Amino acid sequence: MKRLSKLLILVMTLALIASACVSGTSETTTTPTTQAATTTTSGQATVTTTTAPAATTTAAAPVETIKIGAIHPLTGALAGAGTKMDNAAKMAVADINEAGGIASLGGAKLELLSADSTGAPEVGQAEAERLVGEGVVGLIGSYQSSVTTNVAAIAERSNVPLVIDVAVADSILQQGYKYSFRVQPNATAMGKYGAEFLNTVATAAGEPVTKVSYLHEESGFGTSVFEAFKAAAADYGIEVVAEIPYGAFTVTDLTTEMTQAAAPKPDVIVVTGYYNDGLLAARAAKDLAVDVKAIFGVANGAFDTPEFTADFAAGAEGFFDSNYHYNAASTKVADVRDRYQAQYGELMDTASVLAYQAVVVLADAIERAGSTDPTAIRDALSQTNLSDHLMAYPGPIKFNSAGENVNAQPVLMQVQNGAVQQVWPAELQESQPKYPAVSWK
Amino acid sequence: MFVQAVVSGLLIGSVYSLVSMGLSLVFGVLDIINFAHGALMSVAMYAAFVLVRSYGIDPYVAMLVTIPLLFIIGVVIQATIINPVMDAPLHNQLLLTLGLALFIQNLLLVLFSGTPRSIELPYASGALALGPLAIDFPLRIFGAVVTLPKAIAFIVSLLLAGGLFLLMQRTPLGTAIRAAAQDPEGAELVGIDVRRIYLITFGIGAASVGAAGSLILPFFFVSPTAGETFNIIAFVVVVLGGMGSIQGALAGGFLIGLTQELTQLFVPGSSKLIGVFALFILVLLLRPEGLFGSRT
Repeated sequence: MKRLSKLLILVMTLALIASACVSGTSETTTTPTTQAATTTTSGQATVTTTTAPAATTTAAAPVETIKIGAIHPLTGALAGAGTKMDNAAKMAVADINEAGGIASLGGAKLELLSADSTGAPEVGQAEAERLVGEGVVGLIGSYQSSVTTNVAAIAERSNVPLVIDVAVADSILQQGYKYSFRVQPNATAMGKYGAEFLNTVATAAGEPVTKVSYLHEESGFGTSVFEAFKAAAADYGIEVVAEIPYGAFTVTDLTTEMTQAAAPKPDVIVVTGYYNDGLLAARAAKDLAVDVKAIFGVANGAFDTPEFTADFAAGAEGFFDSNYHYNAASTKVADVRDRYQAQYGELMDTASVLAYQAVVVLADAIERAGSTDPTAIRDALSQTNLSDHLMAYPGPIKFNSAGENVNAQPVLMQVQNGAVQQVWPAELQESQPKYPAVSWK
Repeated sequence: MFVQAVVSGLLIGSVYSLVSMGLSLVFGVLDIINFAHGALMSVAMYAAFVLVRSYGIDPYVAMLVTIPLLFIIGVVIQATIINPVMDAPLHNQLLLTLGLALFIQNLLLVLFSGTPRSIELPYASGALALGPLAIDFPLRIFGAVVTLPKAIAFIVSLLLAGGLFLLMQRTPLGTAIRAAAQDPEGAELVGIDVRRIYLITFGIGAASVGAAGSLILPFFFVSPTAGETFNIIAFVVVVLGGMGSIQGALAGGFLIGLTQELTQLFVPGSSKLIGVFALFILVLLLRPEGLFGSRT
C-alpha cells in the first residue's frame, strides 16, 4: 500500500507540475492556415447559397428566440473575471430583449447559453463545439488569448461568428479567419499606445524616460504585449534594460523579481499581468520602495480595478495603467454600470463592460442581417459601424478585413486620491496625470 | 539581489513548510493522498478574510478562530467522508479527495465569487516596539527587505513547527499517532483507538493550513483557488522531505523556497519552478524515500 501510494503520488505530482507549466502557454497551437483557407472558401461559398433560403424561412415562420453563446472561465483561477463577464453578457441580453428584441426578425428574443472554459483551451474548444451543436448563431468570449485561439478556430470551422470581448494576442486574428471579430485593442495596440502614453506623460513632466525594466507574465498575453511595447518604445528612445517573465498562476511572491527589475536603475518599471500577480508585483514594489519615477502597467489586470485601490489602499496611489477602458464620461455607461452594481452587488469592471458590448455588437449585426443564418450575421458584422458604444475609443466600432476593431485604443489611467482616473489622451481626461508618481517617496 | 533572493526564499519557505507538514502528517499516518489540502487552505483564508473585513479582527488574532475551525472541519471530513473509504482501493481515495477539492472550491466560488481579494496590515510599516526594543519595519538585512507580515509568518511558522514536532515526539497523543502510523493493527491491540487517532490527525493536518492561511493573508491574496498555488508545492515538499516526516517537511519547505528564488536569479527567462522540479527529480533519483524518509 505504502509503495503504491508513493508511486502514485509521484505520477500525480508530475502531472500537476506538467499542467502547471503548460497552462496558459498554448498560445501557438492554432489550426494550420491551410485549413483556415479551405474553410474560408467554403464559407464564402455558403454565403451565396444559404442567405436566400434563410431569408425565406424567416419570412415564412417568424423566429421566436435566437440562441447566442458566451464562453468565459466561470471556475478556476480566473473565475472572478469570467463570472462577472458572464453576468454582464446576461444583462446585455436582458436589456436587448426588454427593448423589444430583434426588430427585423419580428421582435425575436435573444437567449444566452453560457459555457465555462475553466480557463483551459481544450475545454473552451469543446464548449464552443457544444454551443454550435446546440444551434447558436454567434459566440462571444473568452477572456484568455489561449482559449480564444481555440474558440476562434471552431468558429471558423463551423461558420459561426465569434465576437471577441477580451483576448489580446495578435496571433488570434492572423490566421486569415473570416468569422472572428475583436472589440478590444490587440497586443500591438496595447504595447504601441502604452509606450506612447508613457513617453508623452514623462516628456510633458520634463523628465523623459530612457530606461525601463519590464516585468510580465510569461504566457502569450504578457509576452505579446511586451514585444509590442519594446518595438514601439525604441522609436521614442526608450530602452528596455531588463525583461523578467514569471508564471502568473504559480507565483507566490514577486520580491526577487522586483529586485531584479530595479537593479539596472530604470526610470520606470512596466508590468503586464493578471490581477493576482499584479497585486503581488505592486506589493513587492512598495515593500522594496523601488527607486523609480513610476510603476506603469500596460494591459495590467490589477492597477485600474476598484479591488486594487480598495485592497491595496496604502500603496496604490500613483500607479499607472494603459489599458482598455469603458468611457467614464458617458451617461449610458454610468447607467449600465449602476444597474449592474445594483443587480450583482459589485462594481462592473472594464472586461465586463466589454462582454456587454460584445453582445450588443452581435445583436446589432443580427438586427441588420435580418436573419438567423450565421453567415449572413458574419457579413453584417463585417459592415459594423457602431458609434453609440460604451468604450473610450476615438471612433465607432468598425472591423477591418482581419476582424480587428480599427478604433480600439487603450486609455491611460492613474490611481489618484484612491480612485482610478482617466488621465490621457486629453479628450478623455478626468484629471491631469501626475509624474513622477510613487507613493513611497 | 542575492541576499534578497535568499531572504525571500527563506521567508516564503517557512510558509511552504507549515502547509506541507499537515499534508505530510496525513500521508504518513492515514496513507491518504489529500488533494483537498489546498482547498482547505482557501477555506482558512476566507475565514480569516471575513473575520478581518467584517468584524475588524486582527489577522493574527483571527488564527485563534481559524486553527480550531479548520481542525473541526478536518475532523468532520475524516469522520464523514474519508473514514468510510479507509480500506477502499487507492484510486477511489484519490478521486474522493480530488472531488472534495473541487466541491470546496466551487462552494467558495458560490459564496464569495471568484474575485480575488486581499487585506492590508494597518501596522505593516513603521516601528514595532518589543518591550524596550523598537524595530523599524520594513526591516533591512544586508540590503534585503523583510516586511513585518513576512517576518511574523516566518516566526510563527517555526514556532508551530516546533510545537507540532514536540507534540509528535513528547506527548502520549504523539506516541499514539506514530504507533497508528507504523502499525494500525498493533496499535489497536495495545488499546489505541485508531479511528479516533485518524480523526485527530486529519484535524491537525487541516489546522496547519488554518494557521498558514491566516499567516499569508496580509501578503498574498484570497480566491477560491488561492490555496491550490501552495498545494502543488506542498506535494513536492512532502515527497522531497519524506512522507510523514515533520522535520522533512520543515527542511523541504525551506529548500524549495530557496531553490525557487535562486532559480529566478540565476536562470533568467524561465519559470522559477523549473529549478524546484529539477531538484525534485534529482532527489527522487538519488534518494527516492525523501531526504528524511526511512529506507523501510
